[in-house]
Amino acid sequence: MKILTKNNFQTWEKIKNLSSQKIIEKIKQSGLNGRGGANFPVGKKWGLSYPAKYFICNADESEPGTFKDHFVLQNCPELIIEGLNIAMKALRAEQAYIYLREEYKILKPQFKTIIKKHSPYNIKIIIGAGAYICGEETGQINSLGGLRAESRHKPPYPAQKGLFSEKTCVNNVETLARLPLIWQQNFDPKLLLFSISGDVEKPGVYEAKEGIKLKKLLKLAKAKNTKAIFLGASGGCFPYNPNLIMSYDNISKKGGLLGAGGIIVLNQNKSIVNICRSIVQFFADENCGKCTPCREGNFRLLQLFQVIRYRKWKKEELEWIEKLVKFIPQGSQCALGQSSTLHLSTALKYFKQDFLKKTVSK
Amino acid sequence: MESKKIKLIINGKKISAPAGQTILEVAKKNNIKIPTLCYHEDLKPEGRCGVCGVEVNGQIMTACNNKIKAGMIIKTNSKKVQEYRKINIQLVGCNFAREDAFKKWLKMENLPDIDELRFKPKTKEKIDCSACDITIDFSKCILCGRCIQKCRDVQSVNAICFAQRANALKVGTSFDKNIIQTTCVGCGQCALVCPTGAIKERDYISEVEKALADKKKHVIIQTAPSLRVALGEEFDMPAGTLVTKKMVSALRKLGFDKIFDTDFGADITIMEEANELIERIQKKKTMPMFTSCCPGWVNFLETFYPKMRKHLSTCKSPHQMFGSIVKTYYARKFGINPKDIIVVSGMPCTAKKYEARRKEMHSSGYQDVDYVLTTRELAKLIKKRKINFAKLEDQEFDMPLGESSGGGVIFGASGGVMESAIRTAHYILTGKELKNIEYTAVRGIQKIKKATIKIGNLKLNLAVVHGLANARKILEEVKSKKCNYHFIEVMACPGGCIGGGGQPQPTTMAIIKKRADAIYQQDKKQKFRQAHNNPQIQQLYQKFLGQPLGKKAHKLLHTTYRDKSKRI
Repeated sequence: MKILTKNNFQTWEKIKNLSSQKIIEKIKQSGLNGRGGANFPVGKKWGLSYPAKYFICNADESEPGTFKDHFVLQNCPELIIEGLNIAMKALRAEQAYIYLREEYKILKPQFKTIIKKHSPYNIKIIIGAGAYICGEETGQINSLGGLRAESRHKPPYPAQKGLFSEKTCVNNVETLARLPLIWQQNFDPKLLLFSISGDVEKPGVYEAKEGIKLKKLLKLAKAKNTKAIFLGASGGCFPYNPNLIMSYDNISKKGGLLGAGGIIVLNQNKSIVNICRSIVQFFADENCGKCTPCREGNFRLLQLFQVIRYRKWKKEELEWIEKLVKFIPQGSQCALGQSSTLHLSTALKYFKQDFLKKTVSK
Repeated sequence: MESKKIKLIINGKKISAPAGQTILEVAKKNNIKIPTLCYHEDLKPEGRCGVCGVEVNGQIMTACNNKIKAGMIIKTNSKKVQEYRKINIQLVGCNFAREDAFKKWLKMENLPDIDELRFKPKTKEKIDCSACDITIDFSKCILCGRCIQKCRDVQSVNAICFAQRANALKVGTSFDKNIIQTTCVGCGQCALVCPTGAIKERDYISEVEKALADKKKHVIIQTAPSLRVALGEEFDMPAGTLVTKKMVSALRKLGFDKIFDTDFGADITIMEEANELIERIQKKKTMPMFTSCCPGWVNFLETFYPKMRKHLSTCKSPHQMFGSIVKTYYARKFGINPKDIIVVSGMPCTAKKYEARRKEMHSSGYQDVDYVLTTRELAKLIKKRKINFAKLEDQEFDMPLGESSGGGVIFGASGGVMESAIRTAHYILTGKELKNIEYTAVRGIQKIKKATIKIGNLKLNLAVVHGLANARKILEEVKSKKCNYHFIEVMACPGGCIGGGGQPQPTTMAIIKKRADAIYQQDKKQKFRQAHNNPQIQQLYQKFLGQPLGKKAHKLLHTTYRDKSKRI
């Protein structure tokens, strides 16, 4: 895997004395995109937020079925700190924060020693507050600022008014770890980390090029008898198609989100509706509660789904599920609300039969 | 930047509007109605309820917090919007505890009525009635978040906040304490913006009714200056209508034995406070002096800045002074046993409910003021007795405690106490009346007003603030000793008492302005404009109190303060 390269802070030594513009320009040219899920070009984001006052490393990975950030944090902390150094230098930021997920706090001492040894900057490690919404950019900024973790309305974007109302830049762990590699020879911006779990023999993190076919990817993890895949909780659900191209564009065209590259594999024995119910439960528990459409919508969706534990749906109930699936993204303001019913909208598109089987036919 | 015009289309109509405005503001200006629920004119829109969703270039967006951009094509009533609204109303509707309240709101916002709610309303917690100023009924809450915004942004008190998340989200307090154990100062601004009455004042109507029915009791009501400019709004009169005389006759119909004016109390306050200010300057005591007639503000200082208690004037608030004068001077003059006197205060305020029950407010030997009713409660009482308010005849206050000066009237607006204190202080110091008695530098709804005035050879630096977040700024300034103010007036509520927590809904800055105009008009009409010229006040001092700041005055009209910082 490329990301496991030992770089020993060579890039940092090389570019320490370059100007901000030159660094940002180089990153723009490299074509590296953010790995947090939105796939936003890193160079463009930095250009918008330069000069930032705060830099935040988002290590609050909490998407179900995604664990590649944990892998990166565990195996290449040096690359992350090197990336942080580059970011601080390029953005002229005063203070950096690593917003570390509470479950990963065992990694904190390791980071502290590396920071002490290799970073001239002020980097603080903050242990996360534990809500799913803390992983969302604006929710995280609120949480860091001592406020309630609630998404903010955009605009203003964090690049204009973020933490403590100052210019702020937020980047994902994997993005930072890839930064130093840009200055190496034959750097490939299209390399992604996929977290594969579920009905596979070898679950784990795999590095592959964006645009890889699904069958190749699943062969790595030794999947058998696959029926469908879920792209994390919020990325949508797709029937197994060996030639499905795993790229951001193609997946969004099909109504899903590649997101942070989490893939949950299901075999023929699994029920799509039951998996959807667990995901509905997840969003009904984990939304911040700010917008009524998301808060109430997901709760009512859960109520509708709980019914099938002991009886079949009535026709009217399935209609309401379809209505809410369309409605919730319209009324919500942050990425969580907007993608909280993606799994259902895709499941209803590709596995309508499974839903109809659970419905009274009259 | 602001003068730049943006062109957009709303419902097929071409419109150009200045940049920086939200969709809702532009629509409102062009008479296009968009339904709202959590939106409030004076607060920053957060887009919580989603009711104001409109179609912008094919996508649904909330109108309250999205700014206009060039080339937007907005549809406020397309099929897509209607479908969106239909579902949203169902979801919002099951948040309302009472169906009639929900239907009333639907009608108000011109939304289509629905026969039945698809989902059952959730059962929530019961009522928090631990405090004697406000009560919270969680079952009525629709989570619009206005109260929290007021408490956090306007008042910087942070007594209430959102607790939990997702479906369990509720308006709560830190560590789930009862409201009385929090930093709540009782200003009631939360109750003023609550659209469903989940937060409201503690109700004392039944106690007052009981007292009115009791023939042995001599029930006296005093009404605050800001009541007469706001009470009419409860009876569908335009904002800023003066209803002093109708109010008096309504109160008489309710069966109160005597109807007096808190303005009389305000005149006493001015006599004491102006003298205290002069004494402080001459004897070089703790400076600057803060006014103390706002109980919300007093609570705030006692809670957050207890070490600065010395700066507070020791004067009681006007209605408390009035209460103790009634139970001593008035009782003796008319031969009534003070035990049988019930003093009810009609106030625009919820914090005064707490103030009346303070231990320090028993200087007449009894509880000086027995019950405090807010403007809303008084209107409720009048409506309950089916009195046709608009058709009432005009009547006058009872004497002797119904006489007041213009200086007492303007207490209701921010800057009023300052202005009226200057009028009297000028007379005390120089023996002459102030030439231009309308001191406009301290009027208006600016957040912090500063002025300097010369009285004789004294140069006084003055500041007037309203809203507790602004008060905090001034306090920090005083604490850092970077300023040399002499006298600072603070009102907890934006706009002063006319924007108080017990006033009719809706109360917005625009309405507060109208009420202030009415107050200043009343001042102009008054026979006497200065507190010291009120003949009844002169008589009170001659026959009963002796000198301002004298021994008797000190016992009856002054108070002490406590350290409440443990509540933080």
